[in-house]
Amino acid sequence: MKELVDQISARLKEQNIQVPDAEIESRLKKLIEEFRVPESEARRSVLNYFFKEHGVMPQVRASAEKAVISAIKEPGKWVDLQVKVLDLWEPATEAISQTGLVGDGTGSMKFVKWTKAGLPNLELGKSYLLKNVVTDEFQGRFSVKLNRTSQIELLETEVEAKPASLAAQPLKIVEISEPGRWVDLTVKVTQLWEANSDSISQSGLIGDDTGTIKFVKWVKAELPNLEEGKSYRLKNLVTDEFQGRFSVKLNRTSQIEPLDIDIEVGSQSVEFTGALVDVQKGSGLIKRCPVCKRSLAKGVCSDHGKVEGTYDLRIKAVIDDGRRVQDVLINRETTERLVGLTLDAAKQMAMEALDHEVVRSMIEGKLVGRYFSVTGPRVDRYILVESINEAAPVTVSQINELMATVEV
Amino acid sequence: MAGFSREVARRIFTEELKSSNYSFRDGEDQHQYAPQYLLTPTGAKCNRVFMVGILTEKDDIGGDTEYWRGRVVDPTGSILIYAGQYQPEAAQILANMEAPAYVAVVGKPNLYQTEDGNIIISLRAEAIQRVDEETRNQWIMDTARRTLERLQVLSSTSPAPISGDFATADKVSAATPAQDAQRAREHYQTDIGHYRQMVIRALTSLEEDLAKGRSKAKDLPAAPTAKPESGIGESKIGSKAGIEEPQAAEKATQAAKKSRPKKSESLNAWPEQESDEEVETFHIGKKS
Repeated sequence: MKELVDQISARLKEQNIQVPDAEIESRLKKLIEEFRVPESEARRSVLNYFFKEHGVMPQVRASAEKAVISAIKEPGKWVDLQVKVLDLWEPATEAISQTGLVGDGTGSMKFVKWTKAGLPNLELGKSYLLKNVVTDEFQGRFSVKLNRTSQIELLETEVEAKPASLAAQPLKIVEISEPGRWVDLTVKVTQLWEANSDSISQSGLIGDDTGTIKFVKWVKAELPNLEEGKSYRLKNLVTDEFQGRFSVKLNRTSQIEPLDIDIEVGSQSVEFTGALVDVQKGSGLIKRCPVCKRSLAKGVCSDHGKVEGTYDLRIKAVIDDGRRVQDVLINRETTERLVGLTLDAAKQMAMEALDHEVVRSMIEGKLVGRYFSVTGPRVDRYILVESINEAAPVTVSQINELMATVEV
Repeated sequence: MAGFSREVARRIFTEELKSSNYSFRDGEDQHQYAPQYLLTPTGAKCNRVFMVGILTEKDDIGGDTEYWRGRVVDPTGSILIYAGQYQPEAAQILANMEAPAYVAVVGKPNLYQTEDGNIIISLRAEAIQRVDEETRNQWIMDTARRTLERLQVLSSTSPAPISGDFATADKVSAATPAQDAQRAREHYQTDIGHYRQMVIRALTSLEEDLAKGRSKAKDLPAAPTAKPESGIGESKIGSKAGIEEPQAAEKATQAAKKSRPKKSESLNAWPEQESDEEVETFHIGKKS
């Protein structure tokens, strides 16, 4: 009882509330002895009583529950966790005394220990009982915060947890299906783009035998530069998603291992069916730079200046299934077959009209508004069309099937 | 290209499209360049629409410059499409087309309020192309599917109290289909059964078309086609469609629309309505 009274008295003093110990004790006794209230509840009740008495708003919170990491699904919950410290990172601000990764048998999670919490430091690899920590969420990812009310108890027994390095799973690019996952990839850099932000050191495309994906390497990651055409093992990347497209980010915890082997970049075909709603500018008869094969704008290549271009035929189109849009690229061979127009005939057409846009108009006339099914590898936001077919005609049985699903 | 993504073209039967009267700009700051959306009774939040139907008439209603108007018919009704100098390709194609013909239209829904308070929905065409009957059939299936999907989401939301909440129309930025559905339901008091019936009617008419075989392909499809007299002006829009619904019902709808509270006009994109005392008298389902 004395201990309890001291604890309460101490907490009250923190808030500059002076209460005679006898008063605390009598309240506690009443609750514990007369009403058989559990000690912890009695303690809280008495604390809250005096807080209220002195106009201090007690922190509204449920008592911390024992939890496991995978069960943390909402922010602002008070929990007790038994965890092992898997990783410690450099705190980004002085307000944070320690940050890193803690894990238990069910998963791992970022933790933040505030400087103000005045708590002892956690050691890498040791296991602790973290009492009264509060959950937090940022962009769908959860973390726990250790604050002034939290307690740290070193555990004798080690908590079983997957080590941090294994938290990232080796995956193939095609298997990346959710943001916020830690992954290891073995890839070749297929394209480097100009970084469009000061915080990005490199970005581009990396690929393995299942497909390609955008990557971003942060300046803060302080990692060596990747070279186009070289293969690497990239460890501990985090996946991200923007408008349905995935990317991977290389951050301070990521590692880059150059490989001597050459990773074959392939791609898995995807299928998309919908109405072709737009044939975009740059479709039809175009000229390409003889050096880099990029299409020319008014005879000028963005890299090589004014060049004598070579003619090509291609279609950039948008297919839309009413739920999402898909950009598609159709190469010359497929374009010729699809619209029944050879490159030579297209040149002839353009010459006669003194306008290469007639080719695009003709393509529009044949394709826009119709339903197509395309297959091909997905590269960045495009499907590189390998096959394109008009969608099959509607049958009576399809109609009946659909009608049968309607509850009337 | 980062950050920009093209708006999906929604699939909506004309009956539903014409029953829509809730338009807003999206985004936290509703500045004048924020995209404009039309929320339909089943919760399609559309900035762009794709439709395939029969062009039954076309007129140049412009003065010095050409301004083309066409009427496109689907199994549930008809809608006017427009193409002028700012849609030169679409206008040219429309100008050169002979009605009747199967057409595909990609366009932006446009909400216009007449002086007497009627709301008229039309499409400003971005692209028009002549297509065939098969494409029209595919579109009906496609639109039926998407509409049923939306109804599915809609039925999982809770119906709003009839008294309605005036604030809802101003709370912008519905992000998910479920939120769109909730909002649509609050605004329109959507009668789900009515729209299921609409889908069934569309599918039934398609089935009948198919059963009759392709011999009729060149004719106007049997089911709901209007036999519109040509050259009718805006004033007759409601009655002119002459689809399955008797004229009276159309008029009732128009009248009901007229008495809509003005919450849908909260973003002053349209002229303000005078009558704002009547609340929620409008029930889409009254026709069935």
